[in-house]
Amino acid sequence: MHAYRDQYASLFRGGRNVVLIAISTDTPEALASWARDDEFPFLLASDAGAEVGKKYGAFLQRGERLMNNRTAFVIDPEGRISFVAAPFREIDPTAYEELGEAINQVAPDVN
Amino acid sequence: MRIACLLGLAALMTAGVTTADEAAAQEVQPLAVGEMAPDFAMIGATRHGVLRDSVRLRDYRGKTVVLTFFFRARTRG
Repeated sequence: MHAYRDQYASLFRGGRNVVLIAISTDTPEALASWARDDEFPFLLASDAGAEVGKKYGAFLQRGERLMNNRTAFVIDPEGRISFVAAPFREIDPTAYEELGEAINQVAPDVN
Repeated sequence: MRIACLLGLAALMTAGVTTADEAAAQEVQPLAVGEMAPDFAMIGATRHGVLRDSVRLRDYRGKTVVLTFFFRARTRG
């Protein structure tokens, strides 16, 4: 998540017409606490029971629990999936390059 | 018995619903490029705290949205 934070301005245009949402099954409080401690400039969301992960095919089973796995999606302004990274290789710099290229292909130009 | 199981699984798959165990057996597949992204409503959070209003995908129509699912807070990635 730190690479997302550190590349936020360049990858996500500072959140102007590109929105990053980081999703896990952690509670909203746990996400807020982590975001505060590590100064994340983006939005996080709590996927209780991995229900959204199930819809997106981004989940795994851990014993009795469902949790999200590491998958990234780019959704274009019309609501269509334009890019999928499964798994998203968060420690590999090329993963962010590919993601940046995918974003640039669909993101509307900023005036 | 096997045919009944296969028919049951086929019915579930056609219905677009699958249990986690079946998903594991199928090797969970993410949605594909070209599909419409399903809407959602989740409780959001930022560095300033938990958000009062739900985070919904439909609220971002007209913008490019990047969803990054991850396993657990405070772990690498």
